[in-house]
Amino acid sequence: MHLVLEQIINGLTIGSFYALIALGYSMVYGVLKLINFAHGDFFAMGSYIGYTVLVFLVAGATVSMGPWAGMGLAVLTAGVSLMAVGIAVERAAYRPVYRAGRLPAVVSALGASIFLQNVIMLVWGPRYQAYPADLIPAARIHFGDLTVTMLQLVILALSFALMSALYYVIQKTTFGAAVRATAHDRNTAALMGINFNRVIVFIFTLGPALGAVAGVMVGMYYRQISFTMGWNYGLKAFTATILGGIGNLPGAMFGGLILGVLEMLGAAYISAAWKDVFVFLILILVLIVRPTGLFGERTAEKV
Amino acid sequence: MMKIVKYVLVAGALVFLASPTLSAADKEPVVIGLQGPITGAWAYEGQMAKQACEVAADLINKKGGILGGRKIVIKVEDDAGEPKTGALAAQKFVGQKDVVAVVSTYGSSVCEPASNIYEKFKKVNIGYGVTAVRLTERGFKYFFRTCGRDDSQGKFFAEAVPKKFKARRIAIMHDNTAFGKGLAEDTKRALEPMTKANKVEIVYFDAITPGEKDYKVPLTKMRETKPDVWYYTGYYAEAALLVSQARDIGITCPFVGGNAAINDEFVKIAGLNVAKGCYMTNEPLPGDLPYKEAREFLAAYKAKFGDIPSSPWPIYAADAVNIIAYAIDKTKSTDSDKIASFLRDKVDRVPGITGPIGFTAQGDREGVPFYLYVVNNEGKIVISK
Amino acid sequence: MRDLQNLSGGGLRSARLLAPLAFACLVTAYPFAVSDYLIDIGFFFGIYALLGLSLNIVLGEVGLFDLGHAGFYAIGAYVTAVLNTRYQVPVLVLMPVSCLAAALFAYLVCSPIIHLKGDYLCIVTIGMGEIVRLALINNPFDLTGGPNGVFGIDFPRVGNLLVVDSSIEYYFLVWITVGVSIAGLVSLQHSRIGRAWNCIREDAVAAQATGINVRAYKLLAFVLGAALAGAAGNIYASKLMCVSPESFTFWESCLMFCIVLIGGMGSIPGVIVGAAFISLFPEIFRPFAMYRMLVFGSIMIVMMMVRPGGFWPRKRGAVTLRPLMEDTADGAV
Repeated sequence: MHLVLEQIINGLTIGSFYALIALGYSMVYGVLKLINFAHGDFFAMGSYIGYTVLVFLVAGATVSMGPWAGMGLAVLTAGVSLMAVGIAVERAAYRPVYRAGRLPAVVSALGASIFLQNVIMLVWGPRYQAYPADLIPAARIHFGDLTVTMLQLVILALSFALMSALYYVIQKTTFGAAVRATAHDRNTAALMGINFNRVIVFIFTLGPALGAVAGVMVGMYYRQISFTMGWNYGLKAFTATILGGIGNLPGAMFGGLILGVLEMLGAAYISAAWKDVFVFLILILVLIVRPTGLFGERTAEKV
Repeated sequence: MMKIVKYVLVAGALVFLASPTLSAADKEPVVIGLQGPITGAWAYEGQMAKQACEVAADLINKKGGILGGRKIVIKVEDDAGEPKTGALAAQKFVGQKDVVAVVSTYGSSVCEPASNIYEKFKKVNIGYGVTAVRLTERGFKYFFRTCGRDDSQGKFFAEAVPKKFKARRIAIMHDNTAFGKGLAEDTKRALEPMTKANKVEIVYFDAITPGEKDYKVPLTKMRETKPDVWYYTGYYAEAALLVSQARDIGITCPFVGGNAAINDEFVKIAGLNVAKGCYMTNEPLPGDLPYKEAREFLAAYKAKFGDIPSSPWPIYAADAVNIIAYAIDKTKSTDSDKIASFLRDKVDRVPGITGPIGFTAQGDREGVPFYLYVVNNEGKIVISK
Repeated sequence: MRDLQNLSGGGLRSARLLAPLAFACLVTAYPFAVSDYLIDIGFFFGIYALLGLSLNIVLGEVGLFDLGHAGFYAIGAYVTAVLNTRYQVPVLVLMPVSCLAAALFAYLVCSPIIHLKGDYLCIVTIGMGEIVRLALINNPFDLTGGPNGVFGIDFPRVGNLLVVDSSIEYYFLVWITVGVSIAGLVSLQHSRIGRAWNCIREDAVAAQATGINVRAYKLLAFVLGAALAGAAGNIYASKLMCVSPESFTFWESCLMFCIVLIGGMGSIPGVIVGAAFISLFPEIFRPFAMYRMLVFGSIMIVMMMVRPGGFWPRKRGAVTLRPLMEDTADGAV
């Protein structure tokens, strides 16, 4: 029994990565109806920036910092940097094509994705980079037979905190209401005095920042990052978004968590090699039964 | 007007035709191609190979080049680690008369279509990371490789391990992945002559399921067969658990892992007490090569790029450049047929960065370097003496 | 955008009639004038043209998001590879077999999911493509050779009379296939089926109301598109003489998607232009070495700013471009 529990905790950990990335997809989709293919690369870039911060801390080492402070600083720097990157990419690649329609925007997003991926390769080099082990918390906690690392708990706690904060901002603040209104009906929202461009800047600040946080956590959890990893995680997170019902933020969160758990259980009890096949099959089956995802009624109403 | 154009054209054509013959007498450089993944997921391997080839060329040029003073120039084409782009890169190389031979490439499935093209257009091509067995079984005349094959590790185990441990009873365990199972089966095949001669006995041959946490059941089964040495061909995560649990239930025979089984992570997971004294079969890492050529090469590489290559493969690319240069120099020719037959028949134990180089009739590297590594008392992985 | 379309429609009408003829002449003459390397680029241009045409049926004509088209391509290539290397079935005989296999696969996979809307359909096709690729890597029943793939595929041949084994012969094989496909697709565009497809793309509800069997027509598009991709897979497999999973990644599907959109949705000359872009540009950028994909990505973005409707948008049965944020009845396009 404790084996299943352990797998579920592992699954929730990677699920929270997916969920954080998925939120970015979902927000952009909600407002723009655009699948932002460059989002996975935001995540990868965040991971590399976190890596740089940690390497710098290890090299500097003038102030002795505990692993938690290092993690905090890495998460913060990556998040803030990616806000800037997100806004820049939105300006350069997306804003010029909004009027033209969804499909040109998709090509533009793919172009941005290639661009970012190659920027990462050129800046940090094509090789795998390893997060410095000294700055990664290594504590373990035992609950009877069950072993959980402290890092996992922190990852889970931080993701849930961020997700709740985002939920609060979107649901309870005036600005969140503006985002929801724009997602619902852009023209009416504009008539009500909501500045569309500000809403877009807002989602292109928050989405990449959340992705970057996930990137740093992935780097700490697996200790190894590569410039192509944005594609894989992006694809999984996009799957999570759809699983939950696209444009629906709680849906994206639960979609991510469910996907992570399914993946781990599939790997443990079916076959590690076939786990992704298993995940996609579940997705397809869910969509056959519920064509707008698990929590997708809200988007269905709009159509 | 038309007349002038005609003259210019004729003059241009004459210059164009004459230029190769004119400059060939001169000290025109010898061009060696490198086809590798400069972009894409394997860009890391491709770009390091490029650096390694350039350093190798630099070293040769510093010593006065080949063919009485001609310099070597490396020309690079990207194959993106992808068969289609690889085919185009190869096609581009074969169209260039000045490219004498090509170092190509890192991935086996990229090498396949590319080497077909090189073969058809008679251009010597030497793989540096292509380990699929089938590549040299096509009877190609112009294809060679400086790296080993997927089955050379098994062969190395059969040659080295029973001797070292004076072992008669051998247990082989794999993890049912394509890689682990392949290595286990290759090892079994390589041991066959010895089992037939009754020198050794494979007492245990079975798979475990990766991803589980408890391996006491298969380990107990193995303990009953009383092995003298135990070879595990899977990955490090399971290897660490296996060794710890094996020691718990009283299996004391030496543990040997394949090249996926032991790394720093293995030592970390298993803990120093269990990990020390565990062996592994592995390609030599660049820093571990004992040869004079290797020291010289790595010093030059470090001077130019700050660090030595972190993967074993780029140095095979450098050795491919070296051996091509050697063949051109010795045959005094840039003719593919001459170079190919020289490489096949005349190259024998030529000193290289990765050890003595020679090729079998198929084009495989002779005496592929594999080493037995061991975890020492400090938890470092070092060559076993 | 509308202005641009009007401009090109008026002044260039005669050019549009002449263009295909001129292009055909160019394609025929090209390989006699250039090196094998350039012929091979022409060959892969042809493969991408074929793939673009096949996806254009699904995406351009019917407006269904399909980002898993590489799956059909892979089925075609692997059917050819496995049947040829195991049972020595001639490659040319396998061309229709590959088409049928890919079409059958499309029918079976798409039947249960064809009712999904826009982006939901999109992710299912991505999932389908990934499942195919992962299955190829995992080597089920020892058929696909795992990550190394299947090798030793024969040349297309008719006995020993006609053996396609040189660059120029492959070039003509693929371009003849492209030519035949274009002829078929043009007549399809002008047929009842083509009009029904376009009607579904513009407004699926209205199409249903006028008595068009939306479900059947959508499925037909997938089946035909898959068949054509299967043919491309067949030619690709025999040209490279080996197939391996890394040729059929999600990225390959994305490239096909870009071919259709860069060229202009539903426009056959557009697809040719798009395929030229996708296959030629990375080769032209070779001198940039490790910067070449960076340049490629930037140009994709610039392309969409300059010509959002595609390089050669369709005139007859044109696609309506809707602003990004607008929902459509079907959620497609």
